[in-house]
Amino acid sequence: METLLLEKKDYEAFITALINWCEVISPVKKEVVRFKKIKNPSDVYLGKNSFFPVKEFFFRKKETIFKFKNNKISIPKLESPKRIFFGLRKCDLNAISHQDKVFMETVKDPYYISQRKNSYLIGYHCNEAPSKYCFCESMRLKDFFDLMLYDKHKDFFLVEVGSEKGKTLAKKFGKYLKRTDNKVSLEEKKIPGADRLPDSNIKDLYDNPGWQEGVDKCLSCTACTALCPTCYCFDLKDEVKARNLSEGERVRNWSSCQLKEFTMVAGSHVFREKREERFKHRIYHQLDYFREKYDVDLCTGCGRCIEGCPTRIDFVDIINRMKQDKAKQ
Amino acid sequence: MSEEKLKVGFYGITGCAGCLLSFIFNEDELLDLVKLVDLKAFPFVKEVNPSDSFDYVFVEGLVASNEDLKVLKELRENSKFLVSLGACASTGCVPAYRHYTLKENYEHLLYKKIKELEDVNPTPVDMHVKVDYYIPGCPPSKEEIKTFIKKIVRGLQPKPNDNPVCVECRRNGNECLLEHGKPCLGPITAGGCNSVCINGGFECWGCRGPTTDMNLDLMIKILKSKGFDDKFIQDRLTTFAGLKLPMLEKIMKK
Repeated sequence: METLLLEKKDYEAFITALINWCEVISPVKKEVVRFKKIKNPSDVYLGKNSFFPVKEFFFRKKETIFKFKNNKISIPKLESPKRIFFGLRKCDLNAISHQDKVFMETVKDPYYISQRKNSYLIGYHCNEAPSKYCFCESMRLKDFFDLMLYDKHKDFFLVEVGSEKGKTLAKKFGKYLKRTDNKVSLEEKKIPGADRLPDSNIKDLYDNPGWQEGVDKCLSCTACTALCPTCYCFDLKDEVKARNLSEGERVRNWSSCQLKEFTMVAGSHVFREKREERFKHRIYHQLDYFREKYDVDLCTGCGRCIEGCPTRIDFVDIINRMKQDKAKQ
Repeated sequence: MSEEKLKVGFYGITGCAGCLLSFIFNEDELLDLVKLVDLKAFPFVKEVNPSDSFDYVFVEGLVASNEDLKVLKELRENSKFLVSLGACASTGCVPAYRHYTLKENYEHLLYKKIKELEDVNPTPVDMHVKVDYYIPGCPPSKEEIKTFIKKIVRGLQPKPNDNPVCVECRRNGNECLLEHGKPCLGPITAGGCNSVCINGGFECWGCRGPTTDMNLDLMIKILKSKGFDDKFIQDRLTTFAGLKLPMLEKIMKK
């Protein structure tokens, strides 16, 4: 992996050059931090990770799958905007790689692929856990990025090149990204304070009464799944026109396993009727079921589902407590 | 789908007619919607309103007089399906708040002045007749009324939205108002409104009534932890959906 150097005095000029080349989306601080298109280098906010995940730019909240008119189906023209995502943290980069597995490998989802294929991912490495709920170090994340900025020195960033797209960027912006003999050590890639889930194996905990405290504090409001950078469940719905009931469109919306409606089938039967079953399902999908299929945990330890939960249900604490209680027995 | 159009009626009993207006506000498709059905009766906008038989009748408002009850019972008898349109018809809404006030607090304002006025307890329609479908909300979403009509004319069964308001609110990228210390009832209130109030910065007052899945016990605990007292919580919960929260008294005592 090639390592380059970006001098801090060139940082603003570098961002300006990115903006002049294409649309740049980065964390922006308003009332909360969220990903937004930026106009100036000063819009970039790197003090804290975005409260809202980046997934909405690829797996969009509402997507027209196809239009229909009198038994004829037409697929909307799919645009593939060239965009740079700047300032993504390790958790969010890995989250993108997990959604890639779902929407680009298992199924070839043209809507996701079109949004994703011309996107460049430039990361910003956390020097320490940006939130007290983080636990990415416990989730054994991989290096996944086009470029990654490491902010370890007073005068310069070290920039790792992680892909072909990264090489393209390095070449294109070679004026700012200079050769260097420096390397980022494995030690420097660690994120202190983000290892609070030492053992994420929950296979034998399903019937443990320890989950109950989380269930009792759950409103099933779906904040966790909406804020999760990896949750990818959706709902499909047909909308028709009043002037012609055979004309309309099929739309895909974000949905959530926390809802009864999500598992409702014909005859109004609901598979996961109890809040407890729905509560556990999300965590088991994140830490167990996904691994069975893809050999990696879906969860990337960003902690948003805890920080954004109105009652701060901390499933990491709950798991740790269950493990401790089990060890005592 | 049969060739014959569904015979439909829109009626209002005691209410503000806002729910009927909500249907009319579908300007983009209104003329097409009206053509989909045989709109037999709509006294709010039509002069001639035969009311002998309906497939679907939409009723707005609540029962607040003996005359209301008579009209409602006739509509029920003459229709295959009765749809409760709006919060008054479905949950009792603001008028039903009267259940939680003492008679001496209000009767001098009106009922003692005008002797002919009957003092009937305002109640939602399902306390008097069988209701087949609910389109809740104060006012109900115009989209939902439109979708309802498009479904029934295709022979499909409309499904009530039982997801909390939070689902649409989170999708809309709003910040949680509970986090800002506001007494938002979104987590226990049925969605379908596209979280319109929260989008505008106002907390949810629960006008669409509770979800079947609500965690009311926890909702009250949260409100208490934010510093709201019992009286405030009781008032807020009962403003729109009081009569549909039958277990409220028991929970408030905890």
